[in-house]
Amino acid sequence: MFFRILHKGNVGDLVTGLAATREIVGPKAKGEDFVFGEITDPSELVLDYPTTILPPKKYFLLPKENLMHYDTKNSGVSQDAPNVTPRVIFGVHPCDINSLLLVDKVFLGDFVDPYYKARRDNTLIIGVSCMPTPSCMCNAFGTGEVNQGFDLFLTDLGDRYFVSCSSVEGADMLDKFVETREVEPQDMKAFQERTKAWEEAFTPAPDITQLPLLFDAKYNDPLWEEIGDDCLSCGACSAVCPTCYCFDVNDRQDADGQGGNRVRTWDSCCFSSFAEVAQGHNFRAQKAARVRYRFYHKQWGYLSKFGKVLCVGCGRCTKACKVNINPRRVIEALVKGGE
Amino acid sequence: MGVNSSIAYRELQANPFRPWAARITSITQLTDKERLFEFRLIDEVVRDAFDFEAGQFMELSIFGVGEAPISISSAPSKQGFIELCVRNSGTVTGALHEKQCGDIVGLRGPFGNGFPFEEMKGHDVLLVAGGLGIAPLKSLINHIHDERHEFGKVTILLGARNPGEILFHEEFKMWKHREDFDLIMTVDQPDDTWDGDVGLVTKLFDKIELDPKNTYGAICGPPVMYRYVIEEMRKKNLDVDHIFMSFERRMKCGIGMCGHCGVGHQYACIDGPVFSYWEAMNLQEAM
Ligand SMILES: Cc1cc2nc3c(=O)[nH]c(=O)nc-3n(C[C@H](O)[C@H](O)[C@H](O)COP(=O)(O)OP(=O)(O)OC[C@H]3O[C@@H](n4cnc5c(N)ncnc54)[C@H](O)[C@@H]3O)c2cc1C
Ligand code: SF4
Ligand code: SF4
Ligand code: FES
Repeated sequence: MFFRILHKGNVGDLVTGLAATREIVGPKAKGEDFVFGEITDPSELVLDYPTTILPPKKYFLLPKENLMHYDTKNSGVSQDAPNVTPRVIFGVHPCDINSLLLVDKVFLGDFVDPYYKARRDNTLIIGVSCMPTPSCMCNAFGTGEVNQGFDLFLTDLGDRYFVSCSSVEGADMLDKFVETREVEPQDMKAFQERTKAWEEAFTPAPDITQLPLLFDAKYNDPLWEEIGDDCLSCGACSAVCPTCYCFDVNDRQDADGQGGNRVRTWDSCCFSSFAEVAQGHNFRAQKAARVRYRFYHKQWGYLSKFGKVLCVGCGRCTKACKVNINPRRVIEALVKGGE
Repeated sequence: MGVNSSIAYRELQANPFRPWAARITSITQLTDKERLFEFRLIDEVVRDAFDFEAGQFMELSIFGVGEAPISISSAPSKQGFIELCVRNSGTVTGALHEKQCGDIVGLRGPFGNGFPFEEMKGHDVLLVAGGLGIAPLKSLINHIHDERHEFGKVTILLGARNPGEILFHEEFKMWKHREDFDLIMTVDQPDDTWDGDVGLVTKLFDKIELDPKNTYGAICGPPVMYRYVIEEMRKKNLDVDHIFMSFERRMKCGIGMCGHCGVGHQYACIDGPVFSYWEAMNLQEAM
């Protein structure tokens, strides 16, 4: 890793330079909100934004994707070439970079998902620092800071960015497209001040030290009924979550009946049919059981496999849920022991 | 090795979602709802590379309909063919039941873990199956049969709703007369033809003698069965880490990605489907 200083006025050069070979994606305004979308003009890019509605997950695990085409008559399949656009994603917050590293463990582990991998391999990531919003809780999970998973990372120092470069591609971009200068002592000082201000801006983090234990100990606690009864089973929390990766697979016939596509779509364990098996038996028929499972899996199930919690505290689910179900409420209820 | 097949073999590693074409080579009607299908993978390289353990499952594809996880019924020693015992219970399995000998379907796998065959060697074995649960256990039974001298006493307890629903009846009738397998069958609803036991499979525990420290148990059946069978095994003093069971969950990938098969903090497709009772008793939503 090496460090440089980039003046904000020069960011446009980086965008224009990269645009020759890649699609540029980044946060841009949409009404009152911000979304990751294609950037056709550098002025659209808003690097100083609170949180986007959907995380960058949608560029790696597509909301809907053809896995393969089949031919009904011969029962043959041809794998669809993974649908890949070489891209650079600008302005990814630390929690979202960390979320991709967590999802990688699932799709690039013992079994490798070639579709996901092709897109991961063809995407450059330029991270950017942020200031916490009231719903942010990356301070609880230690996901507000990153030292891997990006090519460049920009820390906002007012009129300039402190640039951390951690890949050959990142170094190339700096060499080819944009003017930077060396880091000087006053930049280091500004960096430290900025980090301090960032730490102080958080709502105090809930205590997560005992979570796995609490999930097992309070598995049958009435708190799950109290929280779960409100759930609308709408799945919004999973759709906006950068670390939710569950999917469904279905065959969609072509109109001529000769063949069709095997299609993967996002799914959610909050949906009532998610855990149903033959003869209508449902392992999670009650809403409370499904809400509990979602949190259980994130805060304990994934942890038991990969040693990390499957939540980066981005707060998107807190904003998306119409009935106020969110990690802070659940964790605090568990710690207190019922509501 | 032809060019096409070596490419196919590389692809075998490259895309775990890709089903391989398999031809149906025989169909046996077992009961009203269940048939035994024998398949042969068409690609030679894939077929030669194929290997599995008793207890593992395949993802069966009927194109245009979808996929379903099905346990392998044949023994690993049966090279070149894969047997699946399938109940007509929904869209994919229903579509398979409409297929004829010679038709082609898709298969991918094997996935999941197997019963701890090597660990079981040198011990007595008690196998308990309810209904269709015999499908994965049959693979284990056949495997034990092929290496019979490696095992002590082998006891099989089999329960079914009525005599018509007993799977592999003929095969088991044959075994019943052999010295080296103790097989006891029971049905809930007997008919005129039935001269065997009547009642739930748990009732048969009164009839057997076990050397508890030397016995491995394996269970497969409908979700309600496990709790009661384990209770009987525990009464006979079998160790918690010597009891194994196979779980059924909804599956969409078979490889730990889609999230559908979660059992507590595990996934049935990659951490199971076979769990020891020691693991299962510490899993939420297991039984
Ligand atoms: C490890 C493992 C091994 C197995 N081994 C065998 C075996 O050896 N033999 C065998 O016959 N079966 C076996 N099964 C069971 C088999 O996979 C299921 O019965 C499977 O559902 C059959 O698929 P299907 O498409 O035919 O049925 P589906 O069409 O999936 O229907 C099955 C049931 O699922 C529910 N369901 C399905 N889709 C929906 C939906 N969209 N919304 C609501 N409910 C829905 C319904 O309750 C329906 O009755 C095994 C399962 C597992 C996990
Ligand atoms: S669970 Fe909520 S806070 Fe955690 S990563 Fe998902 S959306 Fe963000
Ligand atoms: S927790 Fe909230 S967002 Fe999630 S499914 Fe329930 S109601 Fe919808
Ligand atoms: S079947 Fe997809 S995770 Fe187990």
